[in-house]
Amino acid sequence: MTRTPDDPRLELLQGTLDMLILRTLQWGPRHGHGIGQAIRRQSEELLKVETGSLYPALHRLVKRGWLKSEWGLSEANQRAKFYRLTPAGRAQLIREQDRWSQLVRAIGRIMNPAPASEE
Amino acid sequence: MRPDDAELDEEIRSNLALNIQERIERGEDPQSARRAALDEFGSLQSTRDAMHRVWYSRWSDAMLLLLQEMRIGLRSLLRTRGLAITVIVTLALGIGANAAIFSVVRSVLLRPLVNRDADRLLYIRQTAPGIGTENLTFSMPEIADLEARVKSISAFGDFSTVDFTLIGFGEEPRVVTAGVVNGSFFEVMGLRPVLGRLINAGDDGPTAPPVAVLTHRFWATVLHSDPAVVGKIIRLGPGNATVVGVLEPSVPYPAETQIIANVVTSPHHLGATMQKERWHRMTDLFGRLAPGATLEGARAELKAVHASMVQAHPESYSAAARIGLDVKTLRDQLASPARTILLLLLAAAAVVFVIACSNVANLVLARSVRRESELAVRAALGASRGALRRTLLAESLVLCVAGAALGLLLAKPLVAVAARYAARFSVRALEATVDAGVLWLGAGLALLAAVLLAYVPRLPSSGRSSALSRAAGGVRITPGTSRRLKIFATTQIACSFLLLVGAGMLVATLNAMSTANTGYDMRHVLAVDVPPPAPGAGGKATENFFQEATRRIGALPGVEGVASGMVVPWRDPLSSVLKLQFGFEAYQPANREENPTCMFRPVSPQFFALLGVPIVAGRDFTDHDRPDAEPVAIVSQSVAQRVFRNAEAVNRHLWLDPRAGFEPQRRRIVGVVADVDDENVVQVPTMTVYLPWRQFGEPSRLFVRAATDPYALVPAVTRTLHDISADQAVERAATLEDVRTQVLTPQRLNAFVFSAFGGIALLIAVVGVAGVLAFSVGARTREFGIRLAVGCEPRQLRAGVLGEGAVIAAAGILVGGLGGAALTWVASRLFGVAQMPGPLPVAGAAALLVTAAILASLLPAVRASRVDVIQALRSE
Repeated sequence: MTRTPDDPRLELLQGTLDMLILRTLQWGPRHGHGIGQAIRRQSEELLKVETGSLYPALHRLVKRGWLKSEWGLSEANQRAKFYRLTPAGRAQLIREQDRWSQLVRAIGRIMNPAPASEE
Repeated sequence: MRPDDAELDEEIRSNLALNIQERIERGEDPQSARRAALDEFGSLQSTRDAMHRVWYSRWSDAMLLLLQEMRIGLRSLLRTRGLAITVIVTLALGIGANAAIFSVVRSVLLRPLVNRDADRLLYIRQTAPGIGTENLTFSMPEIADLEARVKSISAFGDFSTVDFTLIGFGEEPRVVTAGVVNGSFFEVMGLRPVLGRLINAGDDGPTAPPVAVLTHRFWATVLHSDPAVVGKIIRLGPGNATVVGVLEPSVPYPAETQIIANVVTSPHHLGATMQKERWHRMTDLFGRLAPGATLEGARAELKAVHASMVQAHPESYSAAARIGLDVKTLRDQLASPARTILLLLLAAAAVVFVIACSNVANLVLARSVRRESELAVRAALGASRGALRRTLLAESLVLCVAGAALGLLLAKPLVAVAARYAARFSVRALEATVDAGVLWLGAGLALLAAVLLAYVPRLPSSGRSSALSRAAGGVRITPGTSRRLKIFATTQIACSFLLLVGAGMLVATLNAMSTANTGYDMRHVLAVDVPPPAPGAGGKATENFFQEATRRIGALPGVEGVASGMVVPWRDPLSSVLKLQFGFEAYQPANREENPTCMFRPVSPQFFALLGVPIVAGRDFTDHDRPDAEPVAIVSQSVAQRVFRNAEAVNRHLWLDPRAGFEPQRRRIVGVVADVDDENVVQVPTMTVYLPWRQFGEPSRLFVRAATDPYALVPAVTRTLHDISADQAVERAATLEDVRTQVLTPQRLNAFVFSAFGGIALLIAVVGVAGVLAFSVGARTREFGIRLAVGCEPRQLRAGVLGEGAVIAAAGILVGGLGGAALTWVASRLFGVAQMPGPLPVAGAAALLVTAAILASLLPAVRASRVDVIQALRSE
């Protein structure tokens, strides 16, 4: 839980975890561990989601109707709880993605103002 | 849908397993793979808690825990069934009584009226404090004066009642009470029809066609809600009238009537007396506030106009009567007579609730002391104080919820009883029902009781060695607990004392009333209403009818005599109307005083003999006292004493005060009879002037004296009367004794209700005292054992326990007495109508309580003296 100052991993921005979860489920159901691994892998080890935030977040998304969960078997024939996107979840993913790209653009403009567009 | 904790655990476990599996596949050895996975996962507990919190709020967790505790509580209460049942029944009585009284109070004092804009609907009355009359009502000339000059009232509605014989609807002739109203009455009242139309401005005046509106109750009960009733023609007294509509259900005020008709239906209302005479007051007046006007403004204007009217007609307003005017909203007018009695009832119900709660608190306290060991063990094992409190709360919740449920079941019949009872003070009580509001009240009371009860027992101080040592010792009473038990028992006695004294007062009053000598022979006289079709419609025909009836009924077997009059004692509302001022020969009223007002009663010959009223001097009326003979009168003893100062009254003269519109005809007094008061249930010396019915008035009541059972004569009497006139209504045959019983019903009910409350309180208090002493004896077994072992007499132990009971009772009575005195003082400050109880109810209640307390301590006392010494000493 504690983190050393020289840890290269990045702190997740507030509110982005839900979006990341929805995104990782875009191509099919996964279990909790798989979701955590996927985020880590796809961020090239820069993002590591704490299980203490990931699992409650999954349940929160189920409660809001964006995910559905069911018990199933993993590739290694192990019992696991799988999460998949519901249609409402898919719509939410699109909304969050839009919002995110707007945010990135806006912050990018402030941090790196393009000199040509000034005048 | 919501995952439970087991599922959350399984999810965590399976993900851990997946992680470990992955690591092993990557080549880590199982041991370190497991450690790494666990390490990576972080705190299992806090993750699981966070997942749990997604689904369950703290609040619902607490409720679930409480529910679980309640299940345990229910099981443990089932083991002590007797205690649980006592507690539940006690609470049910407390809650049921409160719910019932509350629902009546609400319907009478709080519920809005159906009338449109009811807060602008006013009831106006004339008062005459000088002659003790709160509501003198109005005469038509007075109403005309107000109508002409008061601007803050947009419209006046007037209402008076008259009894008609109703023929129609395919039924027997029946006497109905009809409201006679002006055209703006319904507009002022803000009422609507459910069928047809109501009476409106077009129905005013002597030339309008006669119309009638049926009241909803009459239409629904007698006519079974017949929709085809509109347009029917009915015979109403002397004439016909068309039914034009049915009124919506509304509060029947000022009188319950079957129909409401326009002025033209009643000959009396069209007559000169009604129209012209300022003293002829029989009309209730309603008004609607003009837009922008306030109640205070209207009151000031009405009072001013009334005062100038009084000044303009001094002859009609006796100075001694101090006639004034007051106005209230109809709502307040309806609620005011019931307010005091209802608030008293509410207070009584609240006292019963306090008694019930303190009794239950006692029982619960005793029980919790017995399980102190259990609580101590739990505390020692680390249960927090909150957890222990929750256990107690869960148990008391089970008890109180059960009590409330039973109480609300009780509330339904109780509401019906209470409503019928309170309806004698305010008609609105009949609207009372058990509904959501009452249920909330019951739930609220139960919760209140539960929380109180959960905080009554002391918790063992957690983690101390003393707690565990106590755990081993079984029951041990602490001084604090014992003091609390006694305080509760004293509270119960004090409250019961208050209720018992109150009930005793009412019973004493009732007793005084019902055993008072009335001056009538009440058992053998049957009184029957034989009304003329409508007032003022009889005349010669009525006279012949009564003569024939007297002759034929007198000939029936079993009849000892027949007489007639206008008033059935105590029953007839007319009794207070038939009051006039009389002038007497050789009697000069003192300066600025009025001529004395006397009751006047037209009666037939034999009236006094039949009712057992002794003739003190002179003679009775005879058949020779006809209209063409010498005008005569008989006076009561009070008249002889006050007016003639005990001198000979016979052969002096009296006359009706000409200001009341009578010819100043002098009548010779031919007899003096004993005083009787046929108006008040509590007899007061009454000045009465009797006139022979053929010279004055018109009889409408028949009195039949029976040799044996008066009620056996009713069919024969009715048949005889119908033989003479088929359309004659014959009603309400009853012996005077039963009439009086009927009249005393409100007092009887008051006494009964408060006695019931007192009885319940006494019962609960006895259980309470017995419980406290039984408990204290049980806890002191060892002490008693030692005392017996060192040679103490069992008698002394018995006396000691009995003494404890007596001390509790005495303390309770003292506290109750002080509290009662304080309450009386507060009540006299607030309402100005407090009455101190006589010594008899106080002494009676005190004696009853002390006796009950000693009886209640007998059983524990005997137990104390029979303690087995060896057993007691071994017990620790």
